[in-house]
Amino acid sequence: MKMFTNRKTIATSLAMLFIVAGPAQAQTDASRIDELEAKAATMAAELAELRANLEQAKESESVQELQSLRAETVAARQAAQRAETSANEWKNTTSVTHLAGYASADYVSPENGNAAFGVNFNPMFHFQYNDKILWEAELEFEVEENGDTNIGLEYSTIDWFLNDSMILIAGKFLSPLGNFRQNMHPSWINKLPTAPPGFGHDGAAPVSEIGMQLRGGRNFGGQGKFTYAGYVGNGPKLEGEDGEIHAIEAEGFAGNPDDEFVYGGRVSLLPFPKLEVGVSGAFGDVAVVENDGADISGDPTRGYTVFGFDSSYQLGNFDLRGEYISQEVDAEPASIAPEGGKWETWYVQGAYKFGQAKWEGVLRYTDFKSPHADDSQEQLAFGLNYLLAPSAMLKFAYESNSGLAGEATNDDRWLVQLAYGY
Amino acid sequence: MKNRFYQLFAAALVAILLGTGVVLTQRPADAAETPAADPMQFARGAQTWANTCARCHNMRDPKELRDDQWRVAIAHMRVRAGLTGQEARDVLLFLQGSN
Repeated sequence: MKMFTNRKTIATSLAMLFIVAGPAQAQTDASRIDELEAKAATMAAELAELRANLEQAKESESVQELQSLRAETVAARQAAQRAETSANEWKNTTSVTHLAGYASADYVSPENGNAAFGVNFNPMFHFQYNDKILWEAELEFEVEENGDTNIGLEYSTIDWFLNDSMILIAGKFLSPLGNFRQNMHPSWINKLPTAPPGFGHDGAAPVSEIGMQLRGGRNFGGQGKFTYAGYVGNGPKLEGEDGEIHAIEAEGFAGNPDDEFVYGGRVSLLPFPKLEVGVSGAFGDVAVVENDGADISGDPTRGYTVFGFDSSYQLGNFDLRGEYISQEVDAEPASIAPEGGKWETWYVQGAYKFGQAKWEGVLRYTDFKSPHADDSQEQLAFGLNYLLAPSAMLKFAYESNSGLAGEATNDDRWLVQLAYGY
Repeated sequence: MKNRFYQLFAAALVAILLGTGVVLTQRPADAAETPAADPMQFARGAQTWANTCARCHNMRDPKELRDDQWRVAIAHMRVRAGLTGQEARDVLLFLQGSN
């Protein structure tokens, strides 16, 4: 009975315990849930904050990258502009230079002499300021038979472009009389290895002059044109030998020992572009200033005249040209060389290109008459050229020469020349 | 006396020519001051190049020189070949556009 009573007591106690503890437990759980929810909310807020910070950080990096990229772009653009400016600066420079010229290597085999090789080159310098001023000069280097190198100033001029049809030239210039000396003599242009007799030094054609020149061109009609050149210069000097005038040296002298100038010029007419007809003339007074190799002074002056006529015509692959020129000095009884004299020469030349314009055949006839029989020469020249490039030519030629017997002017010759203009 | 007359005559002739040329020139000698806007200039340059250069020498390839080198070379050829200023500018434009 007692045991039963204890069990009842225990059960009752348990029941009471459950009754009392149940609500308390429930109260604890709810509190924990609230606590957990609060923590979760806090964590969510922190997470959101972290995400926000992360996004902000990302945005900040992007901005920095963007700014960096922009800076690089600006730098690259500036570098590109500098490079472009540098690459195009030649277009904006006021001055430009250019080195040009021509050179040749020769082989000459005369009928009555020793065959020999020869060489020369002519550098040309151009320096231009805007389109107003051009300085141009040409030197000539030639190795002589004794091994010495001969150096000459072919020309050196300052060209002032006054307007579209007038150029004022001062200095030493190629003689504008005739056409061969001023335009055709460079080895890469001349279709034969040698100049026509009388068109070289001490011949019938003046070579160069020191003074002033005015030249230019003007169009007229549809295709017509005329060119002109007028000059005043120191003029040539006469070289006396054995009481007669040996040669007219018309190669441009800085001095003017006879105190007289020479005036001359050339006009040419081109009724259409392929045909040119030119007339040249000069006059003045000259004197003997060198006799038997020694300089002299006081010899009386005498009249000096030049007359020239030239023409050229191109028809398809044909190139035809010819020129006459003469220099004449009057007699002067009071002179150390009293007799006057006339040096005259003329040539006609025909050339024809074939083989896709790589080959060119040339035929030229020249008749040079000097007061001295040993200088006079009649020549018939044949040539065959191969064009390695537009300005490079290999020339084979044969000259049939007729001069005073026993003189070099009477020797026929074979010639080979390699010429290059650059 | 005769020579003094020649000198005076030549000096007067040169002065008249120079004065006339400089004063009456309508077009500046400096091409850079007047930019080209002529659509036919290139064609004219090609024609002048073909007509003029071959009068004396073989035709040079436009590719032989750079633009700046042609500028000087054409100035040289203007003197040598009697080109007018306009012809020189035409040929230069053609060569610079063809090299």
